[in-house]
Amino acid sequence: MRRAILALSSTIAGLVLLLSFKTHIPGSTDTGTTAASGSGGAGAGSADMAGAGHAARAGHAGRPGNAAHKARRPPGAATRTVTGTVADTTYGPMQVQVTLAGQSITSVKVLQRTDTGAESDQIDASAIPRLVNETLAVQSAHINAVSGASYTSAGYQRSLQSALDKASA
Amino acid sequence: MIAQPIAVADRLRHAEPVMGTVVSVDIPAAAASALPGVLRWLHWVDATFSPYRADSDVSRFGRGELPLAECAPELAEVLGECAVIRDITGGYFTTTPGGVFDPSGLVKGWSIERACRLLAAAGVTSYCVNGGGDLQCAGEPAPGQPWRIGIASPLQPGRVATVVTGRDFAVATSGNAERGAHIMNPHTGQLAADLASITITGPRLTTADAYATAAFAMGDVAMGWAERVPGYEAFAVRPDGRTWRTSGFPGDSR
Repeated sequence: MRRAILALSSTIAGLVLLLSFKTHIPGSTDTGTTAASGSGGAGAGSADMAGAGHAARAGHAGRPGNAAHKARRPPGAATRTVTGTVADTTYGPMQVQVTLAGQSITSVKVLQRTDTGAESDQIDASAIPRLVNETLAVQSAHINAVSGASYTSAGYQRSLQSALDKASA
Repeated sequence: MIAQPIAVADRLRHAEPVMGTVVSVDIPAAAASALPGVLRWLHWVDATFSPYRADSDVSRFGRGELPLAECAPELAEVLGECAVIRDITGGYFTTTPGGVFDPSGLVKGWSIERACRLLAAAGVTSYCVNGGGDLQCAGEPAPGQPWRIGIASPLQPGRVATVVTGRDFAVATSGNAERGAHIMNPHTGQLAADLASITITGPRLTTADAYATAAFAMGDVAMGWAERVPGYEAFAVRPDGRTWRTSGFPGDSR
């Protein structure tokens, strides 16, 4: 049971990593913010019709979508990497990098796991592959957009509609 | 490195924080000139219809300070839509969910639908506008391909419960996954808990969004109700993971 709880917690933490994807141009170490004005804004100065007053839940995150013609990559489609910002989780800073060929996610890599405590390692081992699998599972659905329970500005940062938007950069 | 514009092949994607959420607009890159008008519209709706802004028309109307005739004419339009949907849903949709005037349950879907109309009026024939998980789309994202919309699983973050495909349709989902229990059954005063989420598809997002809110409050009985409502279909995920759908729902299980 404890293992299950840990796995759940870490999955949540892992999914939080998907927030705030930024464009990473191969060959550059800088991560310029994409034109997705959604990142960072988090509803500042915005009215709260979606109910940002409610605590958004970290547990409901990743929902990637993808362009429909994923399987048929245009010849010479650029391979790009999209690097998430470093997220401070309960288990220490974590960061993921998604590689795309054209519009298709081809891999999800963990860049940073600086907390090397035993518990963190245990969590990472179980949770991170799961995060990758989930991401790819949705990727395989070849979706253009995601419908789900209304998210707030903050919730958007964790949604895979957000990752989808930013992966388009 | 300078930020790159959001464009995939010939598509432009823009994410705009507004109305307490983020609206994602997916249009052909060649239609970029239609984007500013859409964004202006969404921010105008925010300023006019937000119940969280004391000076919005909705707030002033709700407090009885501003007669309807002096409000933005769009408020009367919204109230008309609300009245129709209240009747069709047997009162499960209400503009006074907490006893205070708040038409937000309809405004978001309506504003996205109107944003789509702006795009259509500008000659854009392929678009998807997603307002915090409720979306309307038209045309095709690529020649010969329908839009494929994932319905987020409310129980398994990161997974889709089903995929809806089509060319001109709206998809709205209501549930507790993002914001916790917050939809009340107006007939009982209890928080709705039968379902983990319910998705409504149909031609218009104004209607689909309000139906989704009402159907979530109805719970499982929404299946029979949705079967009888022409033009709209429903797909629900129950808290135990089981799902149900109306006979015409345009999706596949997975």
